[in-house]
Amino acid sequence: MTETKPSTPSSNPTPVPQPPTMDRRTFIKWSAVGWAAFAAVIGGYGTMIVRYLFPNVLFEPKQEFRAGLPEEYQVGEVSERWKDAYGTWIVRDSEKIYALATICTHLGCTPNWMQNEAKFKCPCHGSGFYMTGIHFEGPAPRPLERYRIFLSDDGEIVVDKTRKFQQEKGEWSDPESFVTV
Amino acid sequence: MSDQPNALAKFLDWLSKTQVAKAIFRTGIPKNRRQRMTVMLNNVFLHLHPVRLPKHAVKIKYTWCMGGLSFFVFLVLTVTGILLMFYYRPTVEYAYGDIVDLREQVPLGIMREIHRWGAHLMVITVWLHMFRVFMTGSYKPPREFNWIIGVVLLVLTMLMSFTGYLLPWDQLAIWAITVGSNMAGATPILGAAGPGSNLLALGDVNFVTSASDARFAMLGGRFVGEGALLRFYVLHCIGLPFIIMIFMIIHFWRVRKDGGISGPV
Amino acid sequence: MIEEFKNIINILARPYIMFPAMIVAFIFIFPATDGLMKINRRLGLYKLWTNNGGIAIFAFLFLGFGFGLTDPNFRAIVTKPDNVPIVGLIFLVVFFLWFALKQAWENDEREAKGLRPNEAEDAKENILVWPDLVYIEFIAMLLISALLIVWAIVLKAPLEQPANPTVSPNPSKAPWYFLGLQEMLVYFDPWIAGVLFPTVIMLGFMCIPFIDNNRKGLGYYSFNSRKMAISIFLFFWLILWIFLIITGTFLRGPNWNFFGPFEYWDVHKLEALTNINLSEVVYMILLNQRLPDNILLREIWGILALLGYFTLTPLILAKTFLKNVYNRLGPLRYSIFIIFMLLAASLPIKMFLRWIFNIKYIVAIPEFFLNI
Repeated sequence: MTETKPSTPSSNPTPVPQPPTMDRRTFIKWSAVGWAAFAAVIGGYGTMIVRYLFPNVLFEPKQEFRAGLPEEYQVGEVSERWKDAYGTWIVRDSEKIYALATICTHLGCTPNWMQNEAKFKCPCHGSGFYMTGIHFEGPAPRPLERYRIFLSDDGEIVVDKTRKFQQEKGEWSDPESFVTV
Repeated sequence: MSDQPNALAKFLDWLSKTQVAKAIFRTGIPKNRRQRMTVMLNNVFLHLHPVRLPKHAVKIKYTWCMGGLSFFVFLVLTVTGILLMFYYRPTVEYAYGDIVDLREQVPLGIMREIHRWGAHLMVITVWLHMFRVFMTGSYKPPREFNWIIGVVLLVLTMLMSFTGYLLPWDQLAIWAITVGSNMAGATPILGAAGPGSNLLALGDVNFVTSASDARFAMLGGRFVGEGALLRFYVLHCIGLPFIIMIFMIIHFWRVRKDGGISGPV
Repeated sequence: MIEEFKNIINILARPYIMFPAMIVAFIFIFPATDGLMKINRRLGLYKLWTNNGGIAIFAFLFLGFGFGLTDPNFRAIVTKPDNVPIVGLIFLVVFFLWFALKQAWENDEREAKGLRPNEAEDAKENILVWPDLVYIEFIAMLLISALLIVWAIVLKAPLEQPANPTVSPNPSKAPWYFLGLQEMLVYFDPWIAGVLFPTVIMLGFMCIPFIDNNRKGLGYYSFNSRKMAISIFLFFWLILWIFLIITGTFLRGPNWNFFGPFEYWDVHKLEALTNINLSEVVYMILLNQRLPDNILLREIWGILALLGYFTLTPLILAKTFLKNVYNRLGPLRYSIFIIFMLLAASLPIKMFLRWIFNIKYIVAIPEFFLNI
């Protein structure tokens, strides 16, 4: 408003000073750079927030335990001795001992061992597993997992839950997945 | 209204003319048409409503009151939820005991009951509201977008309910959450037990493992434990209510902006 | 005599009998096409949505519950505090279903006579929100508060034993509003039932306003002019949502076995559930040979079946049964619509495959956690 000066003679031939202009190409180039930087910053923040949800240190219970001497388990028996404390069944058949995880491969419930029917039965959605851990009924897509098992120097069984063996990947023949007796 | 005003009416009349009442309510007792309209415009809470409506829109047989009741039950849940937070500690050690104490030791002892049953009630009223909206064809143009917001609110209601389910830390809670979180673990690509998770790997190193997948982000650990309880607590008390309120604001705003409550054209 | 009657009910309640029966009944009660509408008229099923029909429905419901409560097994399930909301839900859903359809059929009759719907008559008059709406809201709030307080005093909120990560309760159930999903988990892998289907259901619901391009029936209850849309929606909502929840709550017992309403929940009930995959049916039973080692070769039949299901069926349907729908919706809307429908239909299809042929997976690649 204040800059309007009607008194300026219109016949003045001096050219009006033009503001510095930017051609189309430069504008697109710089706006692309700007928006790319903006997207990178937003993406960076997003990544940081997602990464924030995964802590570096976990406080979780010990993953390895000693399960007594092999003689303590009878042939053909599913031992529930370590089910409550460590989530593991120790099973002994005629030639070997193996450790089954008590986690249903369907949705992670804890199946029950039913002695009379000689099967593991999951209460959540009815999956059934044989003593070996092979699934035969219900929705479970694959057999129960086995844990790494070995004999310590003093002859005791040690179960290491950090390593798992899956039958469908052919890992049950791995010598670390069972103990021969 | 009546020819001989009684004592109470006189008193109210006097009260509404005091400076304090005028300062608060501005309009006075809404007796005539003009005052009844201004009272709707002047009050921030009543302003959620329009000033006048076609008659079918206030009939219970048309609306069943379900949308309004859902909102009211949500408010009840907010109030009772805040009260519950005074006594509840979200740790594995204390959570169950605190819930028992809320019934046995805290005066009256029904706050948790109201919250729990209210949550069930809200799920039911939200479903029935959706049913009513469908049956009256109210999702049709111009209200398509608000139907979408409504679906989001329906999902959020169920997520609120689901996260709240874990907090008592009883058998029902942890097994419902175990099942629920294992479903997250089965997410394609992002879950360790989901199809395609082994595609994200460099040589032998898997990027999606039980310590880096969708399930872990939900539980804050590899098992349902301390981390899961805290995460669900925060989501239940702050995270999801925050989101649900934003969507409710949009929902109510769009009811008004899309032409008010639906009716025959 | 009564025991025999209960046994018959228990047998009728089995999913492979009740579910097909409900689907058949549904088709006639909620006719989706003009032809079905004629049958509905002839059978007089529309009379359900009159006052007398309502009395009959509720008399049936109350008698059923009253009779059921004399049975200890039924009583034990229904009166469990956690199940009370579902009993309430049954009555509320039935009531509001009747209430909505009663108004819908009344409006349809008015329309047939060339009149405008009831709501339009009411809408001629404008009313002020203060006090006419505000006091309704006030009373509704008071009533619902009173209801909640009474409910909270009379029934303790459920609280089970303290959490024990090593013992799953038998049966373990999700919150009741997720029991429909849990029921799907019996037939599908978690990534489908727990991730894909919920997402698809959500997207499907969001797409409703964009797929349904019928402009009739906005702002009043009606049935006849939108019978296809309403029938499809009610099928999802009543059968695949509410009914599956009721099944999951009342009829699923220990080990997730199925129990009739008057059956004792026996933990040791034996049920042979030995299931096989499609690949095993093809190679081991039909061709009488070993399963091939190559995964692709092993699963090719299932993959072909799925491809055919999602590409050929839409084309065939568009030329035959759903010709009118295709013409009304156009190619884009029709494609979206039919994909959602096929995904939804895969649930009953998978159920029947399970019940009749014991089929577990169409495509089973546990090596990649990919089972369909």
